Amino acid sequence: MLYELNKVTRTFGDRIVLEIDSLSFEARKIYALIGPNGAGKTTLLNQLAFLDQPSSGQLQFKSSAVVYDHSSLTRLRRNVVLVDQSPILFSGSVWRNIEFGLKVRKIPKKERTRRIVKALERVTMADFAHRDVYGLSGGEVKRVALARALALEPEVLLCDEPTANVDREHQEIILKILSHANSVRHTTIIFSTHYLSQSRQLAHHTMLLQNGRLSKNLEENIFQLRVVRRSEELKCRFADHLISFSDPDGLARENGLVRVHINPEQIHLRALDEGEIPEAWIAGTIVSLAKENGKIRIVVDIGQKLQLLMSEKQFFNRPYQVLQGVAVGIEAQGVMLLS
Amino acid sequence: MDLLVDSLKSAFLLLFSFDPELFEIVGVSLNVSFFSTLLAALIGLPAGFFIAFNTFRGKRFVMTCLNTLLALPTVVIGLVVYSLISRRGIFGPLELLYTQKAIIIGQTILIVPVITTLTIAAISRIDQRYRNTALTLGATYYQMGWVIFLEARFGIMAALIAAFGRVIAEVGISMMLGGNAKGFTRTMTTAMALEYDKGEFVLAVALGIVLMTFAFLINLVFHFLQGRLKSDAL
Repeated sequence: MLYELNKVTRTFGDRIVLEIDSLSFEARKIYALIGPNGAGKTTLLNQLAFLDQPSSGQLQFKSSAVVYDHSSLTRLRRNVVLVDQSPILFSGSVWRNIEFGLKVRKIPKKERTRRIVKALERVTMADFAHRDVYGLSGGEVKRVALARALALEPEVLLCDEPTANVDREHQEIILKILSHANSVRHTTIIFSTHYLSQSRQLAHHTMLLQNGRLSKNLEENIFQLRVVRRSEELKCRFADHLISFSDPDGLARENGLVRVHINPEQIHLRALDEGEIPEAWIAGTIVSLAKENGKIRIVVDIGQKLQLLMSEKQFFNRPYQVLQGVAVGIEAQGVMLLS
Repeated sequence: MDLLVDSLKSAFLLLFSFDPELFEIVGVSLNVSFFSTLLAALIGLPAGFFIAFNTFRGKRFVMTCLNTLLALPTVVIGLVVYSLISRRGIFGPLELLYTQKAIIIGQTILIVPVITTLTIAAISRIDQRYRNTALTLGATYYQMGWVIFLEARFGIMAALIAAFGRVIAEVGISMMLGGNAKGFTRTMTTAMALEYDKGEFVLAVALGIVLMTFAFLINLVFHFLQGRLKSDAL
């Protein structure tokens, strides 16, 4: 195994942002991490890039536990490159940016030149070699950052939302570059994305992160909805109600169809006889209750079957029964646009 | 108005007469200012880097102390250093009092907080992503520090210019520790103070104009260097 994570957590203050019980990555494969904003994708990628240290647990790279001291980390980092979601380029020319990683590895000048030229050709930016980075567009910055990583010919290429804020044409180019790096150079690629469609197109394995944890819920609560209105938030019709959620990359079209995943842990439940029900909530009937890994799985029929997960403590505070009339409230943050 | 016109005329005459005494005074001023800025940079830049890069207990207190030291009057530094290097002071045997070295010591103390605080400000403004980018590209901790230095170079250059400007224009330390000895420790500012005491206002103002001209020329050189640095990054 290339990476093995065992009971890895990362906390910021009191907040647990990553909690991975067990996870491993094989070499020469492409992995997609999907999940909504704040799911912990970037935190996990920073751990895999050895840029951050777990608060607890163990990370192994090539069967050796990672030692967090400066010299060991520099040695490890020279196998792995992370391309940030909003990459930053050092001031100077495109050439000097790409040359930086090669120079710190003391690669001879002739070889540096060969790799820089090749990397720029791969990202279709050969003409930009001697341009100053000041004035490059967002998409160009992203491609230079990718070229800077590819020139190092790393064993592992980590990309945080490589196609975010990039137009459709360049999204395709970037996905092809990643695929090429894996098929030709056998580079292991781990990338994060919001879109299941991208992960299906490219990845050998897809992992869903929700609230910092790996989720097995990827195949459930997936619905096709019609867009009713596009404004700051997207409004879609779901079981004769309107639900709102964000579409940061402007994927949806007015009156078009979108596929969404609703996080079962971000749905609120209330009995119909439990006081006033907010207007946006959807009425339905509980059709099944099951205990599952210390949680209670509740299936509510709202015209479609909607799955909810709640903690045992929460459930026993206010027990529900099968065939009970309930209303469900869906958190906007719990809805993830898939395609 | 006459005073200003006469002063300008005198300043031009002084400059273009190539008066050796004037150039001796300017030479002393530049010499002590250059070495005190150099010494303070050798202390202040690493200190600023260390404080900006690291999180440690008492960091806020250190920052407060440094900010307080920015307002330290030159006469206080003059008195403290005087007490240390005068004949009865612990460094008395080194016979530093009324030498250019004494002025350099005092001026260094004056501007170390200036360079340190402005370096901290310059480094802190640099996006955290530069550090992570340098590290993920395989840089060692020191190479990453060099990247940050290059990205912060304009702020750091501004710190050095501000520090140089502070020392070339100060008078208290030069007077108290240098003694205004003609040909040895007389700087432009102490010469101006002397001319003022003698009632030679025109000459004092003319020296002021000469001082401003040199300060302007030095800033021009720094700006030229900044332009070069911009194109030579990394």
